[in-house]
Amino acid sequence: MKTEPIHRTSMWKFKLSAATMTLIPAAVGINYVAKALAEGLKLPVWLGSLGTFLASMLAGPVAGAISGFINNVIYGLTLSPISTVYAITSIGIGIAVGVLHANGWFSSARRVFVSAIIIAIVSAVISTPLNVIFWGGQTGIAWGDSLFAVMVANHAPVWLASFTDEFVLDILDKVCVAYLAFFIYRQLPQRMVHFFRDDK
Amino acid sequence: MDEDKRIVVDNLTSRYPGTTQPQLRGINAEVQAGQVVGIIGNSHSGKSTLCRVLAGVISKIVSAEVEGQWRLFGRRVDDWPAYNAMTGVVLQNPAGQLSGLSDTVADEIAFDLINQGLAENLIQKRIEKVAAQMGLSAQLHLHPESLSGGQIQRLAIATAIATHPTVLILDDPTSEMDPLGRRQFFHWLAGVKDTTVLIVTSEIDDLCEIADSVWVMHDGQLVSKGTPGDVFNHLATDWQIPAPTITQLAQKMNWRMADGQYPVNAAELKEVRYAHN
Amino acid sequence: MMTDQTLISGTPQVKRKWYQVIDPITKLLFILDMTLLSFASPNLLLQVGLILVATLLLLFSKLNSTTFKALGFSLFLIVTMLIIQGLFYSHNQTVLFSVLGISFYKEGLIYATMLGCRVLVIILTSGFFMVTTSISENAAYLEQSGLSYKTVYVLMSVCYILPEMMRNMRKIQQAQKVRGTNPQKTLIQKLKSVLPVLIPLVIKTLDQSMARSISLQLRGFDNPNRTVKTSQQYHLSRMLHISLTGLAILLIGWKIWTKINGL
Repeated sequence: MKTEPIHRTSMWKFKLSAATMTLIPAAVGINYVAKALAEGLKLPVWLGSLGTFLASMLAGPVAGAISGFINNVIYGLTLSPISTVYAITSIGIGIAVGVLHANGWFSSARRVFVSAIIIAIVSAVISTPLNVIFWGGQTGIAWGDSLFAVMVANHAPVWLASFTDEFVLDILDKVCVAYLAFFIYRQLPQRMVHFFRDDK
Repeated sequence: MDEDKRIVVDNLTSRYPGTTQPQLRGINAEVQAGQVVGIIGNSHSGKSTLCRVLAGVISKIVSAEVEGQWRLFGRRVDDWPAYNAMTGVVLQNPAGQLSGLSDTVADEIAFDLINQGLAENLIQKRIEKVAAQMGLSAQLHLHPESLSGGQIQRLAIATAIATHPTVLILDDPTSEMDPLGRRQFFHWLAGVKDTTVLIVTSEIDDLCEIADSVWVMHDGQLVSKGTPGDVFNHLATDWQIPAPTITQLAQKMNWRMADGQYPVNAAELKEVRYAHN
Repeated sequence: MMTDQTLISGTPQVKRKWYQVIDPITKLLFILDMTLLSFASPNLLLQVGLILVATLLLLFSKLNSTTFKALGFSLFLIVTMLIIQGLFYSHNQTVLFSVLGISFYKEGLIYATMLGCRVLVIILTSGFFMVTTSISENAAYLEQSGLSYKTVYVLMSVCYILPEMMRNMRKIQQAQKVRGTNPQKTLIQKLKSVLPVLIPLVIKTLDQSMARSISLQLRGFDNPNRTVKTSQQYHLSRMLHISLTGLAILLIGWKIWTKINGL
């Protein structure tokens, strides 16, 4: 099945339609649940951006960016306050996914891989300064942080060590999430895809 | 005849995008003000699509190809805010109809009234009234999530009638109610005045007690319409619709009414029994 | 987690506690100011002072498990931060102590402590917000302050959707367990095992969103006549907003000024 790219001019619509308005909370919910599932199964990835991916694919980059932003704000206000600042990263992810999807970069398994790498770079570039400011460069994931520790011990610049720490985690996570989103999106009923894409 | 006192459906055809066959094909019908119309048919016969068109969901909210015309008391769907204000709608999946932002059942009922900008004391009165009608007075302070499936359906009906709509469109509103709740609902429906009601249901026995007319949908077409007596005495087998229990009984006993038809509800059955004795 | 009672149900209006007469925006601005104060200077004494203030606020309002969970989340990370920075921080010079021949440096430990304190300040002040406001209070307040119902809806309905989704997930997981699944080894196998839970859940959730979107429109949520529900009155909210915003601007300005002069 091929996903037809959305018309370019409509990609950046900012009017919050009633469909998008109910899609965003659902996307945030999917983020939460995917993250909880990943933690429950002890997966080495977060999966916490799955809903953001789907929102961007269904309703465009703006919907994805808002989903990502609200996701982190709500997460911050309920569970882990520091995660609020990573809202910026989530906005970046939402926009990247939306733009890539609108330009047909989610249309085949091979293209999804390229998309995943681009999204991982976006995510790591935005997250690294935040990691340095709040956590001295760490990410909080054991094996990424051990890499960080090794690099810092060998006098690598903190920025480089922190970026590497974040990027290796991001690449694995975003590849997994991108393929999950790609696969789930193809299973969605057509009426649903039409409903959220329609500019009503 | 005066258009403003009827619901008129004129050669209505509707097709969802991505499907080849239309879900509704050439529907023609009329409803007089104040009537209760029961819509029956097996699954995928187009009942829900018809409700969605009449409620304005198609094509004001969900896109679909629609041909033909329909008017509710002279009003067309293009006049959306006024059209929408005329209708009270309960669709399938009652849980999805809750606003998702209310702490209590009372808040949920108030939602529609706040949207219409009614005064606070009037809102309070309406809430109490419809809650009593739907048997939810004891639940007003509960969280909507804590209600049972049948109670959520009653809540959805309560929110639909709170605004005093001219037309009430109900798509299988009793599917999750227990027998007692269902009986109470149909009892309430029998007493409804000044509101035109279109109700999709599979509760044929209850429907025959209260409906002024019945429409049978089959394969996207309106294949039969008339009084319950007329419709259920002339069922075609390929519609796969059972006759009311009373009719089945009367057929077995060969109890006919004066006009030769079998009775479809309790009142008609009594009539037949008196005639026989 | 999200099913926490203070978050779900509005506080019954019996007798209002002191923290209930402070409006939500003031509390959010307070979090912002405390964070900025904490970032204003690396002075450890200042950090400890801020932590004390936040802890006292929490003690005098109400403590609940939400805050402890948030703390637990970060404490582990703070410990690893102490170890990594204590060992490898680039400005490390003075050995503070040695364990089993491994030297921990003073500079790194101080740096990590400072970062940890900042994290604690943010968590504790946010905790004050979390335990003292309810969702419906926030929703009513936001709409009252002029946000559109759409925006308020998007922000607030998340809090209602989450418990519902968690329940659905457990239902699906249980159904999967009954069917029986094999233990998975590789990441790909594990990811595949997630799909039978995720796909029905995603479709169900999106279906619910569609139904809700249709229903909100039928129920006239965007009717221009919509009246804003008057929520409770707050004390001095305007004055508090102005002074807290002023303080925030001052702190940011001061930080920029010192940065420029420092360069």
